[in-house]
Amino acid sequence: MDSTVPPKSRKLPTQAIGAKIFHSCNIISLFIMLTSGLQIYNANPVFGGRAGLHIPPLFTLGGWLAGGRHWHFAAMWLFSLNLLWYGIYILISRRWRHRFVNINDIKALQKTQNSKRLSYAWHRIVYTAIIPILLLALLTGIGMYKPAQFPWIVDAFGSWEALRIVHFSSVPSVILFVLIHRQLGRKAGGEQLTESMFW
Amino acid sequence: MNLIRVPRSELTRRRFLQFSGISGMGFLLSGCGAPLFNDVVNNLSEPLNQKVETLLFNPQKPVPEFSKSDIKPKELLINTFKDTPIIDQAKYRLIVDGDVNNPLSLSMADIQALPLTSMIIRHICVEGWAAIVQWGGIRLREIVALAKPKANAKFAYFKSADGYYESWDIASALHPQTLLAYQKNGEPLPVDNGAPLRLASPIKLGYKQSKWVTQITLVSDLLPMKGYWEDQGYEWYGGL
Repeated sequence: MDSTVPPKSRKLPTQAIGAKIFHSCNIISLFIMLTSGLQIYNANPVFGGRAGLHIPPLFTLGGWLAGGRHWHFAAMWLFSLNLLWYGIYILISRRWRHRFVNINDIKALQKTQNSKRLSYAWHRIVYTAIIPILLLALLTGIGMYKPAQFPWIVDAFGSWEALRIVHFSSVPSVILFVLIHRQLGRKAGGEQLTESMFW
Repeated sequence: MNLIRVPRSELTRRRFLQFSGISGMGFLLSGCGAPLFNDVVNNLSEPLNQKVETLLFNPQKPVPEFSKSDIKPKELLINTFKDTPIIDQAKYRLIVDGDVNNPLSLSMADIQALPLTSMIIRHICVEGWAAIVQWGGIRLREIVALAKPKANAKFAYFKSADGYYESWDIASALHPQTLLAYQKNGEPLPVDNGAPLRLASPIKLGYKQSKWVTQITLVSDLLPMKGYWEDQGYEWYGGL
């Protein structure tokens, strides 16, 4: 057990440059994707159509539908290529074996009384779960961007409306994730750990 | 004794970066930043996006169609940039000119004498909504073939009776499911939907599908005016 290290000699957390680049690109691309996505949403709200509730301009990017689309279809490259290289990176560096949720975390949830270990396990579950959520956002996005070329994506979700709802659900999912990820990260290593993930 | 304490500057490099990030986001989101950067962003990504869109598009492959029971007549909304034009169907002519060897002037009777193609497709609007519709009409590729296009024809311009104008890449215009439609859901095309003749296709967004088409001009190069909405800032390719 190495929990006896006095706090004085605790080193500042350091991260692999790959993790820093991934986090920085992600926060920028997701910010643009969400705000421009809400601008597109406003052209015909998923819930209620033209009569539906519109998102206030404070949270939208692009000024109008055409502008929102420009931002969305520019940032999609940053978002998706960032996911792609990071996927390759965690495979090659074998980070997936020790940085993501594994059987020990599930065991910890069932047995441990150590609150730090518990929140650590939850945190790994949360940030592992966001990966399929982001991939789903990408898949549903491709389905809406190119439905004539990938009709099977629309079919897989049953209808156009269902596809729109699943794609839109990325917005609350990502916001919720960021809040929880930040909170659990803080709990594990404070502001210093959070900052070390970006620069 | 140190009675006067000078507070150490709180503005560290990290704080500064955080603040500049936040105010930068505010600027982007605010009304004044957006239009300026829209063009910059568009000029950066549009050429790449268009290349990928063209690459993904298969000009010969038909998009899977739907069955009659899938048609949702009420979901097809009507969008018009101006007023609905009044057209005398008896005097109506479709002009086909430009880079063609055999310019055409066709009446509705001429057009309806040509083979009818019917399709049940998903009509998708740039606004995000979609509707499954049956369209019936003549394949645009058959009209173009009648006009005997020159080899250098790369784009098709469409002029509408209400002043609307559009331009398409020739590959999309010649797709087997790009129709000049005069039927909707088994009935004659209503005026609000573009009678007597409109573009209908599952491979382009709704704003590319001009209603009340009166003239088709084949050209070798895009003109500075690309389309009504495109000239306001919308994407030109608009492929699906």
